[in-house]
Amino acid sequence: MTMATDAPAVREVQPGGSRKPRNAMRRRNTLIGWSFILPNFLGFGLVTLIPVVFLFYMAFTEWSAFGDPEFLGFDNFTRLIGDGSFQTSLGNTLYYSVFHIPLTLVAALSLAMLLNTKLRGVAFFRTAAFFPYITAVVAIAAVWSQLFSADGVINQILGVVGLDPGVGWTADSTLAMPAVILVSVWRDTGFFMLLYLAGLQTVPRTLYEAARVDGASAWQRFWNVTWPCLRPTTFFVTVMLTIQSLKVFDLVFLLTAGGPGQSTFVLAQFIYQKGIVEFEYGYASAGAIVLFSMSLVVTIVQFLVNKRIER
Amino acid sequence: MKHHVMRSAGVAIAAALTLAACSSDDGSSSTPDDTGSGSGDEPVTLTMSAWSLDSTPEFQLLADEFNAINPNVTVELQEYDAAEYDTQITADLSAGAAPDLYILKNLKYFATFQDGEQLVDVSDVADGVGEGNGALDFYEVDGATWAVPYRQDTWFTYYNKSLFDEAGIAHPEGAITWDEYADLANQLNDGLDATGSYQHSWQSTLQGFALAQTPGADLFSGDFSFLAPYYDRVLAMQESGAQTDFATVQTNQLTYQAQFGTQEAAMMNMGSWYVATLIAQQESGEAEDFEWGFMPAPQYDDSTLETPVSFGDPTAVGINPQIDEAKMDAAKEFLAFVGSEDAASALAQIGIKPAFASDAVTEAYFSVAGLPQDELSQFAFGTHETLPENPVSLDTAAIQNILNDAHSAILTDSVSVEDGIAEAQERVANEVG
Amino acid sequence: MTTSSLTSSSPSGSRTSLERSPLYPLYRVIGYMALIIAAAAVMLPFAWMIISSLKMNNQVFTVPVQWIPDPVQWSNYIEIWQKSDMFLWTRNTLFLSVVITFLQCLTGSFAAYGFSKMRFPGRDTLFLMYVATIAVPWQAYMVPQFQIFTEIGLNNTLWAMIALQAFGAFGVFLMRQYFESIPPELSEAARVDGLNEYGIYRRIMLPLAIPGIASLALLTFVNTWNDFLGPLIYLRDRDIWTIQIGLNSFIDQYNAEHALIMTGSVLSVLPIALIFGFAQRYFVEGVATTGLKG
Repeated sequence: MTMATDAPAVREVQPGGSRKPRNAMRRRNTLIGWSFILPNFLGFGLVTLIPVVFLFYMAFTEWSAFGDPEFLGFDNFTRLIGDGSFQTSLGNTLYYSVFHIPLTLVAALSLAMLLNTKLRGVAFFRTAAFFPYITAVVAIAAVWSQLFSADGVINQILGVVGLDPGVGWTADSTLAMPAVILVSVWRDTGFFMLLYLAGLQTVPRTLYEAARVDGASAWQRFWNVTWPCLRPTTFFVTVMLTIQSLKVFDLVFLLTAGGPGQSTFVLAQFIYQKGIVEFEYGYASAGAIVLFSMSLVVTIVQFLVNKRIER
Repeated sequence: MKHHVMRSAGVAIAAALTLAACSSDDGSSSTPDDTGSGSGDEPVTLTMSAWSLDSTPEFQLLADEFNAINPNVTVELQEYDAAEYDTQITADLSAGAAPDLYILKNLKYFATFQDGEQLVDVSDVADGVGEGNGALDFYEVDGATWAVPYRQDTWFTYYNKSLFDEAGIAHPEGAITWDEYADLANQLNDGLDATGSYQHSWQSTLQGFALAQTPGADLFSGDFSFLAPYYDRVLAMQESGAQTDFATVQTNQLTYQAQFGTQEAAMMNMGSWYVATLIAQQESGEAEDFEWGFMPAPQYDDSTLETPVSFGDPTAVGINPQIDEAKMDAAKEFLAFVGSEDAASALAQIGIKPAFASDAVTEAYFSVAGLPQDELSQFAFGTHETLPENPVSLDTAAIQNILNDAHSAILTDSVSVEDGIAEAQERVANEVG
Repeated sequence: MTTSSLTSSSPSGSRTSLERSPLYPLYRVIGYMALIIAAAAVMLPFAWMIISSLKMNNQVFTVPVQWIPDPVQWSNYIEIWQKSDMFLWTRNTLFLSVVITFLQCLTGSFAAYGFSKMRFPGRDTLFLMYVATIAVPWQAYMVPQFQIFTEIGLNNTLWAMIALQAFGAFGVFLMRQYFESIPPELSEAARVDGLNEYGIYRRIMLPLAIPGIASLALLTFVNTWNDFLGPLIYLRDRDIWTIQIGLNSFIDQYNAEHALIMTGSVLSVLPIALIFGFAQRYFVEGVATTGLKG
């Protein structure tokens, strides 16, 4: 079977024959490679890269959006370290991410596998699963806060087993974050399910048949066939999930506005508040760089782990 | 002149990278439109920011009224988003794309715009506007005036006369204190299906009053103990059920228009803008049909019942420094007009509470159809001292954010009043400045 | 791939052990019931949107929730077309979504091929840079970006939105990962047959990547369709407003027309739901059924 071949070895084969001098070929490959990337890179560079580079400069300045930025050195970063709100937002963001990432991942993958079958009416359920992602966030926030309210449906159900907390979740400083996480998982599952659904199509069906012949259980088939084949998709999903979790904002803002107090105040809201609300764009940029660095570290780790498994 | 941060750094790279056609030469791109020449009879077109043109006629009214007096000057409106106005106008000012004249919605960002050199000194205009425009002082920094207010909302107590009758309670006859207000709310609550009073979730519904009314209260002192009695009282009203609790308002995203308009509450403290809204909603059927009136907002103690103290930020027009010098005279004339009694009378006739106060303006205001005609409403409209919600400083937004956190924490019982205030004080000391 | 031990082939039936179980019909019924309950839970906010769109404005947010509108305001669905430029907004939004989706899929998949299948120095660094920029909150660099766009005259045009969204790192990343999961033997064989890299991209990779492209297209379409902040900053004139900006204009300084906003939201979700319904077969037909046959 073709899948048995060692992938990296194949990729080492250089296109265009191997007799040319190494350097010339390298140059040629670089040129071809860049020719693929360039059309996208032109737009990306102008729209994203230049402003982001400027953001790095801003982080070392004081800037109110008007006039010239005033250079400060590392002051913004030392201020961040001592800033209680920043610490709170960092803690809340990590709390959110630690639950949001694995829960969404498992939910999305399970749902994708379930909806990749040939059940009758599966097309309808696929569409339904995607609905939370396309429903207006305002409506999501309105309905969920009512479901979570003191005498809402969720507390009534919990009351049956004697666990009714007696308070509205989004208006309680300990329950607000769990509520936010639940709604986020509910909303994001459809999005990542779609990516897994696409990823599942790359798993050759012959592999399943072969595994079945070998007497592999459903769990073994998943672990030995599906999961390895999904590795590139999983890499994408985990990186995107991590980034999205670290910069979560709109849903939290509409559900709780960061409250009560600062109990659901997250990093992206800190950045939004410092920049757009308080006109401290330099300081906000410093916060953005912390967020950027955290994401970068996680991404690099995942990238390297991914590469290692590939070999 | 034009300060472009990105001019030096980004644009050079941007131009080199792709779009080489970066044609605009310095300074000329500020206002793309017409007519430079200026004074005298030459036609001049001024651009001005505005929002929600369909439902907010005040901008077009000012433009039209001014044009009627100065036929050679046209004021053209540029529409912005009402909710995200500050973000949009900031981006425009920063990029040099803002109109000649722009609205300062409230005092919150006035200091930022003034400090960022985004306003022209209009002290000469201010001198001619006259005593009646009491809000003018709020737009003064370093002895100079930077914008001219045309609108000055203030906070009233709205009350449902029909529900008062139903509960068998006499209509109020003058200003009352907060303690009397709480008693009244409890009495109403006992006699009605509706709650006695409704307080919206905004921090200003409580903190705005506390700051304006408490003797010696200062937002920048770092001492917020002046908030404590106000919170104690509201928590007690939530406890007794006389007022819908904050958590319910939040989780059910209640709107104040529905609460008062569909008679869910007998009293409500709200800004003067709601007068026109309520009239319109009763007309359209969105609000139920009932008798109502408004009285001065409750007072700290009985020493201010004669001239009740309330709060509210004046809305003003400022001039963008990038304006074509030739249009400056026309722009200043327009500012002089919006602050005047003439403009005030015109605004009053569409149910807006203007910055300029006089008997003539009050009369024009109460000529609006549907307005309650009782003496107390007239007294509330005409007699009050209104202090700013956002005292002018670069730190205002940051402090207000911290106090907003305290507001939600205290009213959801997440912390005690004492701890919530202590925490806010600590945060202001650590995080602001 | 580490699956060689499992791939020794022999003929067999394709029924799973589950399907052979005598309890299978019962499992099926339970499975369907679970799915239907889950679908109902998932659709609840959408149902609330529809219900709210049939109410009077002051009835949208009340305690307790009023699940049956009284009176039913069908007129909202007429009023929104009469009272606003909903038609124009839909046209603009559709134009942006189609153009941006097309460009994003094209340039994204093209760049992704470079990142996935070509080897050259600096490739991985550049790729990580691409991905990392996704992590920077847009609000933080919005103002400098707006200054650049204003400087080159793009602000207040639909082109601003196209430039803003058509070259996102997200599409490059998604497509690169999809190409990574396509077995390299296929392109290798084509290379041996003398096809150059552009040919392999066009003839081999694109057809195999249809589920990936379909999901990228759908997600880009939805994101563009529902984007609020981008259009808010860049599209100012009424004649270039999108649906989301238009609906936000129902909120003025002190009041909001909640019922009409919900009416507009329902109308705005419908096209996406329809597209998803029609397009979904492309997500579930891929390499497994087309590429590796035989």
